[in-house]
Parts: sequence; structure tokens; C-alpha cells
Amino acid sequence: MSRQIINLTVNGDRHEIAVAPNQTLLEVLRDELGLSGTKRGCTSGACGVCTVQQEDGRAVLSCLALAVEWDGRAVTTIEGIAEPGQLHPVQAAFLEYGAVQCGFCTPGLIMTAKALLDTDPTPDEAAINEAMAGAICRCTGHIKVKIAIREAVQQALREREPDAAPT
Amino acid sequence: MQLPSFEYLRPATLREGLDWLSEPGTDTAVVAGGSDLLVNMKLGLVTPKRLVSICDLPGMQDVTEDADGGLRIGAGCKLTDLLQHETVTGNYPALADAIRAVGSQHVRNMGTLGGNLCLPTRCWYTNQSEQWRESRQPCFKTDGELCHVIKSSARCHSLNSSDTAPALIALGASVTLASRDGTRELPVADLYFDDGVDYMTMRPGEILTEIHLPPPTGVSAFIKVAQRNGLDYAAGTIAGWFDGAAARLVLGSIGSHPVSLPKAADLVVAGGLGTKTIDAAADAARADLGEVSNLFSPPGYKRRLARSLVRRVLEQLADLQGGGK
Repeated sequence: MSRQIINLTVNGDRHEIAVAPNQTLLEVLRDELGLSGTKRGCTSGACGVCTVQQEDGRAVLSCLALAVEWDGRAVTTIEGIAEPGQLHPVQAAFLEYGAVQCGFCTPGLIMTAKALLDTDPTPDEAAINEAMAGAICRCTGHIKVKIAIREAVQQALREREPDAAPT
Repeated sequence: MQLPSFEYLRPATLREGLDWLSEPGTDTAVVAGGSDLLVNMKLGLVTPKRLVSICDLPGMQDVTEDADGGLRIGAGCKLTDLLQHETVTGNYPALADAIRAVGSQHVRNMGTLGGNLCLPTRCWYTNQSEQWRESRQPCFKTDGELCHVIKSSARCHSLNSSDTAPALIALGASVTLASRDGTRELPVADLYFDDGVDYMTMRPGEILTEIHLPPPTGVSAFIKVAQRNGLDYAAGTIAGWFDGAAARLVLGSIGSHPVSLPKAADLVVAGGLGTKTIDAAADAARADLGEVSNLFSPPGYKRRLARSLVRRVLEQLADLQGGGK
């Protein structure tokens, strides 16, 4: 099983990495690049804790992505969604509304929510439910997660049009 | 769970992919997205030594309108991309709703229509970890000689849980299968065997390259019932299509193949979508369904579900057709 050199851009940084065909993007991120914010959960696409964003902003599961298929591509992980020391609005909302229980699923939930807002800045309740269905909090803390996402949407609207958005 | 070792091949042309797939003794599988195949490989259910990735082949992600008004969809089209096509969502609502029912948004961002059509059958005795499976005798699916679901059965009863297959069958779609000997066109309805092990009629060395939808006519709808609304396999699905002169009703996730309901459909053709006909068609579905296994849910539940799904999909078609009755 020969290794292959891939060019992978992670959070804007370009990496040249030798990967085996059976290595997943998740394993490369965590084990080769030391980016352990992306979690290893079910590893079978059912829980969403390994969620990262591809170039077009969509959420994908790094546990089911072959690293060799990411040659020449770019990925955003939880480590790259805000400047060091700063918080992404979704992170800030999770913090503000206590949308964290044990915290293991939090990076996956935040990446899923961010992917939703990047592709649909004003999602309705159904769109939030649909997007978040693929990212599971095993502590079952989904209500506060939804409150936080709704609030992040409202916050973004307030910042864009300070007088128009309902509170 | 970790992936076993394999070689990864990315062909430049379809011809090259077909050549690699047909090389004897290589144990080569096709991957188009991988959101299901990689899970089965991690579970050790399938152990190909080589993977041929077809998504990047020319035309594999194209959606083109035919001269006759139909639609051609490349097998490597991501499910999410298809939902952005107005021709798909506007003209083929049953397919659009079936696509929305697949997995989660994450999975739809990765999975393809061709991949969903080729979805392996599943069973709660085999789609488990290797250690779990080792605690039982091997079954038909794992090179044994029995079925854990129906002990006396001479065949495997694993379930076909493709959400898009029933919709495509109801819409009268066909697929293009390419091999080194050329291509052939096959109705999606003829793509499956009623057998959990030997579940696809595709021949070794063939690659499903394209899905072809006929020009949109009539009304169509799709319904999925599952324990959860998001990211769950169905307890049952139904797709329905009716254009006044012909009708198709297809159940999914009930047996080893999508189950067409010709008796129920004939009643609709003869009697339209009035309340009485819908009642009769729902009753007829039971006869159409034949024997069902107790895999994932009891047979009695499956039969009642089938009846209820027929009623619901026909009511939806009636609403679509008449804007209400």
C-alpha cells in the first residue's frame, strides 16, 4: 500500500502530506496535523462530531472522506473558524446560551451550524432542524443548541441592519 | 473503526475505469461518494483490494436536459447538488423528496445518486462490527448457509433501503450501464433482484454511469416513514406517480428490493383518485406486497404501514392533481 503525497489546505495553511489510501481526512487532521478539535466519534457517518467544511461551505464528514480524494482541496476545521483569541459568532452564541453539556460533540455541532449559516444566513426552524439532524449531542442537549443558533442568526441580522431585525 | 488496506485508483477515462474493474483477480470495487461503502469496509462487510473512484470522470456530475424533454443525471452527482436544480425539484417532486430523505445533510453533501441506487442491502445481523458478527453463525451474507431473520429461509432477507430507487422506478427512470463491451439501458425497476445477497442485476465489470428520467408528466410524490425525521433508515417508503392514463406505486425499505404495487396502481388507473378508489387501492396493496420478513419491524406492522403509505401517497397525488378534490 503505497503512500501518496497530497496537497491539502487546512484553515488557509497549505500542507504537503504523505497519506495512505485507507487514511481518512479525519485521521490526517488529528493524527498527522495534530488538529484534534475535530472529534472521532462513531466513524460511520451517524453522529457528525467529525464535521468539517469543504470549499463551498458545505458540511462534510471527515470520517467518511478519503484523504487521497482531498488532494488539491481546502478544508476548514473548528480551529480555523475565528482568529486566535476570538470567537466565531456561532461559538459566542453557544457560550452565551450554554449550548454545551459534556462538550465532545460541540465542535461538530458548531461546524454544522456554521455550515448552515454560511450557505443559508437566515434559516427557518425547519432548515435548522434539517441541518442539525446530522450532528448529534449524545447528552441530548439540543434545545439550547437551537436557541444558540437562532440567536446567532438574529445577531447577524442586527449587525447587518441594526433597526430592522426583531429581537 | 479503521479502514482496511486497499489501493485507490482514479481513472482518467471511463474506459480506463472499466479496464481496471474487469482485471481478473483484483477484487476491485467502484466508489462514487463512499458514504456507505466506506462504512461497510470499516465493518469488514466488504473487503475490496482496490477502489476505482468514478466521481471525477468527465460528465459524471452533469445534469443535462434531453431533446425529448427528459433529464440525464450523471451517476456521480452529489445529492445536495441535485436539490439545487430546478428541473429536478420542479418537474420530479418524488425524486426531490426522496433525495431529501437520504441520510443527513452531511451525507447528502457527500453521497451521489448513483451510489444511492447501488446501496447494499442491510440487516441487523450483518451490519454490525466484526466481533459482534463472530458471536453468531455465518449467514448467507457472510458466506454461511442460513438466514438469522427467517431461520427456515433458503435466501437472505437483507433489506434494500435506497430512498431514491422507489422514486426513480415510480417516475419510470432508467439507467445506463457501461461495460467494456459497450453500454446498455435498463429500467431502474429491473435493476434489483428480490434477494439480500445477490441484490443487483448489474453484471460484474459494469459501472452505472447515468440516470435517465423521462419527460415529466402527471403528478408524483414520495413519503418516508422512519423512527426519526433525520438521519435514519426508513421503516418504509412509498413513491407514487399518476398521469391519468397510467400509474405506478412503489414501496421501498420493505423487502430486499423495491416492491411495485401493480394491483393498487391498476385500481387508480381505472377509478382515478377518489376516496373509494384510494380505499380499494390501499386494501389491494396488501395482496401486492406478498410475504414480508420481520427484519427491523414485525410483518404485521409492515403490512399496515404499506396500506397506510398507499393511502397517504394517493391522497397527496389527488391534492396535487386537483388542487384538492
